[in-house]
This record gives sequence, C-alpha cells and structure tokens, in this order.
Amino acid sequence: MDSLLSARGLNKQFVSGGEPVSVLTDLSLELARGESLALTGRSGSGKSTLLNILCGLETPDAGRVEVLGESFDSQRPEAGGKTGTRWGNLRRQQIGVVFQEANLMPALSLLDNVRLRARLAGHEQRNCQDWLERLGIGELAARYPDQISGGQRQRAALAMVFAMKPALILADEPTGSLDRHTAGAVIGQLFELQARHGCGLILATHDPELAARCSQHLDLGHRPEV
Amino acid sequence: MRRRFWLFLVAALAGCSEPQQEAGFAGLAGVSESDSGVAFLQPGPGDRLTFPEDFGPHPQHRIEWWYLTANLKTEEGEPLGLQWTQFRQAITPRLADAEPPEPGTWPLEAAWMAHAAVSFDSQHYFGERLARGDVGHAGARAEPLAVWLDDWQLEASGNDAWQLQVAADGWSYDLTLRINGKPVAHGDNGFSAKAADGKGSMYFSLVNLQIDGTVTLGDQALAVTGRGWFDREWSSQFLKAGQQGWDWFALHLESGDKLMAFQLREEEGDFRAGTWIPVHGEPMSLGADQLRMSPLTTSEGYPRRWQLAVPDVGLNLDVAAPPGDYRNTGLYPYWESPVSVSGSHGGVGYMELTGYGD
Amino acid sequence: MILPAALFSHYRRHPLQLLALAAMIVLATMLWTGVHHLTSQARVSLDQSESAVAERQQVKRTDGDRVSVADFVELRRRGLCVMPWMEVADPDAGRLVGVDPLAAGCFGDPGQDQEPWQRELDGRPFMDIAEAAELAGQHGSALSLLVSDAHSAADLPSGYQLAPFRVGPETGELGDSFLLNLDALGVLVLLITALLVRSVYLLGLAQRRDSFALLHRFGVSRGRINGLLVVEILLLGLVCIVPGIWLGRWLAIGLGSGFGRALEGLFDQPLYAGQGGGWLKPMVTMQAVVLVACLTDVLRPLGRRLSGGSRGFAGLLLLMLITGLAWSVWASALVWLFMAVAMVFVAAGALAPMLISRLADGQAGRDKDPLARWRHRELSVLARRLALPLVALQFALAMVLAVQALVTTFESTFDRWLAQRLAAGYYIEVPDAVDPGPVLDWLSEQQALASSGVWHQVVRGEATLMGTAGKQDTVVDVFALGPVGPLVTGWQLFESVAEPWQRLRQGQGLMVNEQLARRHGINPGATLPVQLGGGRLDLPVLAIYPDYGRPAGEILLDVAVLPPGFVPDFQSLSISPGTFSIEAIKGQLEQMWQVDEVVVRDNRAIEALASAIFDQTFLLTRAMTALTLILAAIALLMMGWVFFSTRAWYFGLLVVWGLSRRQASAQLTRLAVALTSMIAVLALPLGIWLTWVLVHRINPLAFGWSLPMAVYPPFWAELGVLSLLVGFSIALLMHRQLQVQASAPASASALAGGER
Repeated sequence: MDSLLSARGLNKQFVSGGEPVSVLTDLSLELARGESLALTGRSGSGKSTLLNILCGLETPDAGRVEVLGESFDSQRPEAGGKTGTRWGNLRRQQIGVVFQEANLMPALSLLDNVRLRARLAGHEQRNCQDWLERLGIGELAARYPDQISGGQRQRAALAMVFAMKPALILADEPTGSLDRHTAGAVIGQLFELQARHGCGLILATHDPELAARCSQHLDLGHRPEV
Repeated sequence: MRRRFWLFLVAALAGCSEPQQEAGFAGLAGVSESDSGVAFLQPGPGDRLTFPEDFGPHPQHRIEWWYLTANLKTEEGEPLGLQWTQFRQAITPRLADAEPPEPGTWPLEAAWMAHAAVSFDSQHYFGERLARGDVGHAGARAEPLAVWLDDWQLEASGNDAWQLQVAADGWSYDLTLRINGKPVAHGDNGFSAKAADGKGSMYFSLVNLQIDGTVTLGDQALAVTGRGWFDREWSSQFLKAGQQGWDWFALHLESGDKLMAFQLREEEGDFRAGTWIPVHGEPMSLGADQLRMSPLTTSEGYPRRWQLAVPDVGLNLDVAAPPGDYRNTGLYPYWESPVSVSGSHGGVGYMELTGYGD
Repeated sequence: MILPAALFSHYRRHPLQLLALAAMIVLATMLWTGVHHLTSQARVSLDQSESAVAERQQVKRTDGDRVSVADFVELRRRGLCVMPWMEVADPDAGRLVGVDPLAAGCFGDPGQDQEPWQRELDGRPFMDIAEAAELAGQHGSALSLLVSDAHSAADLPSGYQLAPFRVGPETGELGDSFLLNLDALGVLVLLITALLVRSVYLLGLAQRRDSFALLHRFGVSRGRINGLLVVEILLLGLVCIVPGIWLGRWLAIGLGSGFGRALEGLFDQPLYAGQGGGWLKPMVTMQAVVLVACLTDVLRPLGRRLSGGSRGFAGLLLLMLITGLAWSVWASALVWLFMAVAMVFVAAGALAPMLISRLADGQAGRDKDPLARWRHRELSVLARRLALPLVALQFALAMVLAVQALVTTFESTFDRWLAQRLAAGYYIEVPDAVDPGPVLDWLSEQQALASSGVWHQVVRGEATLMGTAGKQDTVVDVFALGPVGPLVTGWQLFESVAEPWQRLRQGQGLMVNEQLARRHGINPGATLPVQLGGGRLDLPVLAIYPDYGRPAGEILLDVAVLPPGFVPDFQSLSISPGTFSIEAIKGQLEQMWQVDEVVVRDNRAIEALASAIFDQTFLLTRAMTALTLILAAIALLMMGWVFFSTRAWYFGLLVVWGLSRRQASAQLTRLAVALTSMIAVLALPLGIWLTWVLVHRINPLAFGWSLPMAVYPPFWAELGVLSLLVGFSIALLMHRQLQVQASAPASASALAGGER
C-alpha cells in the first residue's frame, strides 16, 4: 500500500499556568492514499495540535513526520532552514486544510476564493466554477461569505480544497458548527469526493458516527489532568 | 513724561502739603532756564505790588493762586462755607511781557488747577479741575479781571464787581462779588516772608467782599449772601526743606476787624506771621512774637479747634470748625473749612490746614 | 454595582485599551488647548491694547473740518470733558500717541481702577501731547478729541457731533484677521482630535460588543448599557481632560513667550502677559468633543436617512466639495472663506476613504490574478474600516503641508525684508538741522572705507505723484539714496528695464515699490510726473522693487536727483565699514556734527534678535502641526494594529494555504503602504489647496496684501516618506500578529474581522 503519511513518536507539550502539559505523548500514525482517519477525543485532547503538526503549521517537540515523500524530523535540525518552505509547498499543492469556520477570505466572492486557492496551488482557474457546481452552490459563485449560510460556506471551503487537487485533506471538525442535517450533507460530499479522487483524509471530530465512517480511528482520549 | 508731569504737579501743591526738598524745585528750574534763558523770579523784601497788573498772572514765578473763601448764610440763616481757588504752576518761566507760545504746540510751560468747595449742613462738596496753560481753556488776565479753567470762571462784571461761576459734579454756584475797600498788602508792603531766612511770597488780600448769589446742591437751589475773603499770592518757592505744612486763618470778626494768621510748621520752631486789619486804621503786620497759635482739639489727624491770640490788640480767640469732614480730597488732600470764632471776639472765618497726613 | 463592574471588567482585562483611549483624549486635549491658549492669549492682549486706546467716543465737527486746538478750548470752556489725542506716525518708532494728562483728569471713572491712558500703549507709555506735537511737525499727525462717556450728543454745542473713536481701525482688523486664522487652525485641530478620539473609542467598543451582547442576553436593556457607556465616557473625559489642559497650557506658555514677541513684531501688536483662556472653555469644549465623537452613533441613522443611501451620499459630498472649492475662489469675506474651507474639508474627509475604497474595488475588478484581487479588496475594506484615523492623518498631512508652505514663505519673505532693511552693518540717524554734506565728503575720502566697505546716505521725504488722465494727485514717500551701490543693487526686482541700477545711479529714472506699482498700474519704462520740492520731474520707471507688505507708496531715487528745494523729513547713513572702524566714523561724526553722542544702530544685532524671535514662532507653529501629525499617525497605527488583530485569522489563511510567512508579510506590507501612500497622495491636493487659500485668499482678505505662493516638493517627499513609514510600521505590527497563531473566529461577522 502506498504510504501517504506516517508519523512516529510525536511529542508536544504546552506550558499552562507555569506547568508543562503534555498534549501528545509518543504518538504514531500511518495513512495510505484513499484511506481516512478519524481523530476523536474531547476538547483540548490535542486533535487540532496534531493536525497542525501534520501540515507543518506547528512543530512537534520530538518525533518524525513523513508526508508525500517529504520527511520532517524534529531531531534533525539540518533540514530546518528549508522546513518552512517544504511544508509551504506541500500545503500549497498537496494538503488541503478545512477548519470548522472561516475558511474563506471575507472580501472575496466564493468563486474568487476558489480561484485564489487554485492559483496558489498552481492550477488552472477555469474549473473553479465547476467545483462550486459540483458542491451544489454554483449559483452562489458571485456571493460573499457573509451572504450565505454556514453550510454553504463549508461547501465552498470543500470546493476550494478540491480545486487544489490535494493528496491529503486535513479537516478539523468541518461540520462542527452546522446543524445535523446540513452537517450530514456536507460530510457526505467530503467522503464522496475523497473517495472519487483517492486522497487521504484525516478528520478530527466529536461525532462517533462520523468516526465510524472512516477507515481508521485514533482516539486521543482525555486531556491529562494537571 | 507723564510721570514727570505728575511729579511736578505734586510739587505744585507742595505749598499745602508734604515737605519738598529744595533740590527738587531747583532741579526743575535748572532745566527750564537752560531752555529759555529766563530764570524764575524770587520775591524778596522791597518788592512792591502794582495794580491792577498783580491781579493777573506772573509767568516768571513758579507758583501763584487766586483764592476765595466765603462765609455765607442761606435765606433760612444757615451758615454755608464756600471756597474757590485757582492755582498756576509754571514749569518754564517766561517774561511777563513775552509772547505766549502757540496753542497748537500744546505747550507745557504752565499747568493750572482749580478747586471749588461748598460746606453746608456738615457736608463738604469738593471739585477739582486741571489744565495746561497757554492752550486757552485755562488762564488769567488782570484787566478786566478774568481767571478761568474750563467752565469755571471769575470775571469782572462792572465796577468793583466780579462774577464767579463754578459747576462741579452735581453741584454748582453762581455768585456776585462786590469789592469793598482797597487791597490789603501783607508783610512788608506785600512781601510776606515764609521762612526765617527771609524767603517768601508776594501776598495781598481783598478782605471785605460782599457776596450774594445762588448755590445749587443737587436739585436744591439756595439763595446765599455773606462775606468773602480774596487772596492773591505768588512766589517761586514755598515750603523749604524741613517745613511740614501750614495752618492758615482768615477771620471776619463781629467788630468789623479782620485777622489773617498763618504758621509754617518746622522741626526747629514754626514760622508764624499775620496781619491785623482793624475797621479803622491801617493794617498791622504781625510777627511771630506778636501772634500765638495753638491747637486745642485734634481729631482724625486734623487740629479742628485752635486758640489764636494777639495780645497787643487784646485778641484771644477760640476758633473751631463745625462738625464734619472738610478735607478737599483732590490730587493733594488738605483741610479747608469755615470756622466760628468765640472768645474775646465773635466772628466767622476760614481755616486751611495742610501737611497732616493723607 | 455589579452591572457597571461587569461592563468595565473589559478594561480590567485590557488595560492597554483603556490607556490608549485615555492617552488619546489627553493628547488631543493638550493639542487643542495649546492652540486655543495661544489664540486666547493673543486675543486678550489685543483686547487689552484695544481697550487701552478705545475710549468709546470722540467729538467731530459737523462741517467736516478736522478738529483743532481751538475746538478743544471751545468745548472745554463749555464744561465738556474732552481730551486731545494726537497720533503721530513716526516711520522709525511706529505709532506714537500724545495725550494731555491734565485734560484726562475729568475722565476719572470710579468704577475703573485705571483710566485707559494711564496704561501703556504698544508697550510704551503715552507721551505728553507737547512732545507729540513737536514730532508731528516732522511726520504729520492726526488730532482727535475724545469725550467722556458721561456726555451725550445733547451736551454738545451746535457745530459738533459725537462719533465712535477707534484707534487704527485697520490695526484692529489686522489683529482680528490674524486671530481668525489662529481660530481656523484651532477648529481644524479640534476636528482632527475629534476624529482620533472617535476612532479609538469605536475600537474599544467593537472589542466589547461581545460582552455587551452577553449582558443583553442576560436581560440588561440596551438603553441601560448605553447609559452606562455615556457615564463611562463622561468620567473618562473628566479624568483625562484636566491633565490634557494642563499639558496644553504648559506647552503654550513654555513656547508662547517667543510667539508673543513675534506677534508683536509682525503685526505691531503688543502681547501682554495675558492669562488668556480659563479652564472652563477648554474643559467644556473638549468634553463636548469627546461626547460627540464617542456617542455620535445615535445621530448616524439620521444622517443616513438624510443622505439617502451611499451613492446619493457620495454625490452630495462631491457637490459639497465642488461648491466649497468654487466658493473659496469667489468668497468676498473671511467668514465665507472659512465656511468654504470647512465645506471642502468635510467633503474631502468623507470622500477620501470612499475614494480609496472605490479605486481599490475598481482595481480588484480588473485584476486577473486572484491574489492581487484579494489584496485590492482588502485595501478597500481597510480604507473603510480605518476611515476615521485615515481622514485624521489626511487632514494633519494637509495642514502640515500648508503651514509649512506658509511658514517657509513667511520666513523667506521675512529674511529678504530684513536683508533689504538692514543691508548695511550700521545705521546712523542724521540729527535735525545738521547738514550732512561735509560728512558725506569725508566718508567719500576714506580710502579704507572705499576699498573694503560700503555706505550710502538715505534721505526720506514726500513727493506728489501728479495725477494723469483724471486721476488725483497722490502723495508718496521718497526714498532717496546715494551713492547707489551694493547695499541695494542686490535687491530682487520684480520687473525692470535693462541695467536699472546703473541708470538709477546716473539719475536717469526712478524705481517704485510693489504697492505703488500695483495701485497705479505702473510698468517699467513708463514715465512718472513727480512733484518734488517745488519742481516737477518726469522720470522713467526703471524697476519695481518688492516692499514685503509695506502699504505706503514709495519712489526710490538717486539722492543727486533731489532738487535743492526738497525738504527732507529724515536723513540717515547706512554703513558697512569693512576694515574701517565704526568707532572712528562715530567719533568723526560727533566731532563734525558737534553733538555729544551719535547713535549708531548695530543692524546685525537687530537682525539676529529679529531672526531669533521669528525662528521661535515658526518653530512653534511647526511643532504644533508636527504634533498633530504625530498624533494622527499614532492613531492610525493603533487602529491599524487593532483592526489587523481582528483580521489576523484571515491573513493566517494565506500561510495555511502555503504562502511562507515572509510572503504573507510582504502582501500585508504592500497593503498597508498602499493605504498610507494613497492617503498621503489625497492629502497633497488638499494641502496645496489649503496653502493657496492661506496665501492667496485669506492673506489678501485679512491683510490686504498677498504673499508669493510657493510649493515645496521636497517637503512633500518628506511627508511621503513619513506616510510610508507609518505604513511600514503598521505592516511590522501585522507581521508580529502573523507570528502568533490566531484562533479561528467563531463567526464571519464584521465584528470578528470578517467584513468585506
């Protein structure tokens, strides 16, 4: 099986109230193309931190991440100088990130948001309208984020992610602020597109049903008591 | 400039107030002499009076005045005292026959000051006017007599009669003065010594003026009649260093006799002189040894009651001001009040006191 | 007590915000109080000098003749309290007034502790009228008869009438106009401070809106919350305004003494050590400004209703701008001119952010690159969100620009004026009744003087310009000098024929000053018929020389041209001795003129003193405007910082989407710098226009003469660099924000930075 991402021995500590708090302790995971991984755990259990580490927005205190053939080792600072650029290139072209909210530039229309994301990924901007159509919001292309509903905004966020033709999607509770019905529809589209394009998906969620739809499940458990 | 001017005005009234250093006068005189080449004349023994010229101004003398005091009665018989004085103070002496300067140059060779007062019913009304000389609104002339400052004026009106008009703030008077008798020359034929060293002034009086007219106080017009005393005096120096002020009396006695007496108060003994003017006979100059003057009662700084005695003529008088405040509160405050006379003789008169504080 | 505590707990958690708002109110108060204090100080002093000379009424003759000493005597003899007032125009000493202190005695008013003429006039005591009358013979004079207020027209004899008495009406107007200028500056500063206070307040409000919403959800009515906010801002205003006023006074008094002296030098107005400006007025004004600035939201819906939508509003503003501009060209009175200026500023201020926003939107519409489109759309949002501090910066920039141009113009005019007046090292007055001839001969014979120094003789007097073609004869000042040399040949002439100085030296013509040329439409080459000392001369005009605001007409001649019958009013010598000793000259003159002492005026010392005084004034003016600018820049920085902190998440998205932090920062820098440079560019025309208004409109209307209008592009560049610096500073702050991981906003609302 084609390994998309592998993480080994990740450790991350925060300082809270003067005391170090371990968020991630010796965590390892593996994801292949086409696979999906559900991250569960209560608030503060480290889901977002892990996602950030997996796309290079945060650096682990210890451990090693290999993604799409690029290897990032916290113990090998010699690669450090280029680390940011390598991660940046990955996020630009290969890793799509979807947050719970505010995935769109408020000053741009939906279509312009998708175009911007495609342009950064180095893709043609012609298909952008198609992506909006495929997510069922084609007629909203000229609208601005504040003119549409939360569900429509998350669909637009998915359109942006797929427009960049990602190899890996990291979604941090992408439907957390939506009602159950809308959430179901949006997440359905996510799984459908992920399956069709064969990219990897790591989904942080509270919802056990959603977690059950993923091929893997990693429970980060409770936040350790201080 | 202004300051110098006021300073000089202060000096002008030095004759009725604080002692003035001789140097102050001399300094001023020095300046003016170098300007015009004319010096102030200093009266001395042997100087004589000339009429009518001496009723007019003496531009070569530093200071002079025309001085009327009157003891009048209203129709109701209430006593009313009245004063009118016009002072001239020269800054630059000028020959008597010299052309006066052009009014258009606003000359400042002399300054004029007029005082007017009415004392009635324990009230004292006082007014003051100031003017520079040679401009035209203030001046004096001997023949026919005219002494004026703004709309205050004393003017001859027919034979041996003068008209005096004064309008002050809220009160005024308009009087006719009839002259009885010849001018009385004081001292040595008009030279009245004012200090032991022999310096003094030229001084004569008309002592028996018959006055009638109207005094208006507010909206109350009072017809008045009575007697007046008119002084003419000029000099170039009055108080010398060490002299503090003077006390002056002019009394009309019921007997018809008149008395003028004054003293200049000095640290080392006062200088005292006077003139006894009997109804009949010649006026008699009184020296310090013939004249006794002593204050009896002093209140609020002013000796208001005096004892005056001339033993040679059997005179022993108690002279007292009526109740009230009779200070003339002008640039230079001094006391000017009518007095009543009792003792060996009855009578009325006027008392002037200067150099008592304020 | 719980509710206020809950409301204000925001500031306990964010003390810096409270500090920023407080600091802004303090600084704004200080700025305005400083300007206001100077203005009121100047006003008090003007009032004082006015009351020192304005004794309400005078007597005039009904037949129109001038009053004379005879009239004075006539009126005094009729018992009227009248005093003479003789004004002498001495070209060297300025205005001299002679009064008769004796005649003034009757003016004594028990209600007043001092009669006006016992005060000083122009810093000097009144002189006795006799002295004035003496001077009047040389310089000409005007006699007025002042009459006590106690008299009414009915008291006057026939042939006389009462008239109001004012000394030097043009002086009063001059002073008023100058104060009007200061007032205008004060209003502008007030406007800027209001904008700044408001922007900082809105910022705090925006950040507290969540807690307000929470309180509202807990059942606290909006009216209650608003009421508490009013109380809060009132208290904050009270606490901050007092130290602000104190600081402003300190600023004004500390720097104001030189200002006063310069005012005196500039406008012949004495500046008394006035305690101008109480506490109440600045207190009330600033409290009102703070309240209006902070609580103007209540009025906003009303304004929106009136304007009828944004497009209509913009149209209205444009109309206002055009009307204001047109009005500023044609306004015939200062008041209208200031109204026009106000209109232009309001319209320009409202339009500027709108214009930037629309331009950016328009550019975004044309962009093919989505990233450029994003940037331009962001710029548009920024312009609207930061409208208030931006406009404040624009106004401050415009004001600084205009004041700089004005001050520089004044400075150079003043320098040239000084140079013209004080060209020689020393100035010696020739005493009256002295024939300068032998001295001139002696001076010409001195080899050392001829080889290393320069000198000339100046003769002043009057001449009559003969009227031609129905025009009336005009009396002009004569300025005759000789030998014509380097002391004058360096003058900048406005217009001239060929070799003007050489021809002047040869007596082949005369020169006229700017005012005379303007008034009579005289051009070089024209021939002027001049009545000089009884004879008539027809001389060609060789040149027009600048007079720097001197209102009297003047002709410049070689002294040799003067006919023997010419009676000089005044003679002097100007000497730069070079290696020759001025002491030797002085000694020689004393000997030749047989006077104890010849007064030698050291022109360099005078020049140094004058320059020092003016420098301080100009420094103060610049300091005031610079302070305004700094305040505006700080406000923009602060606002920019806060705005970006609400929007940091979205800028963070760029990094999430793969841009490096450096690339993202570069985008933001371009954004910020574009914003500040655009406002600087928009401030430029406003500033130039304001300069034009000050120099070409206000000055002629107020002072009757106009300064040359100059623009200073290097200074524009300086301001441009400054605005870039502000932009870079904002970018730097934003960059720091980007380093910190922003948390995702819970909603896309405008309050959370999600506006478009």
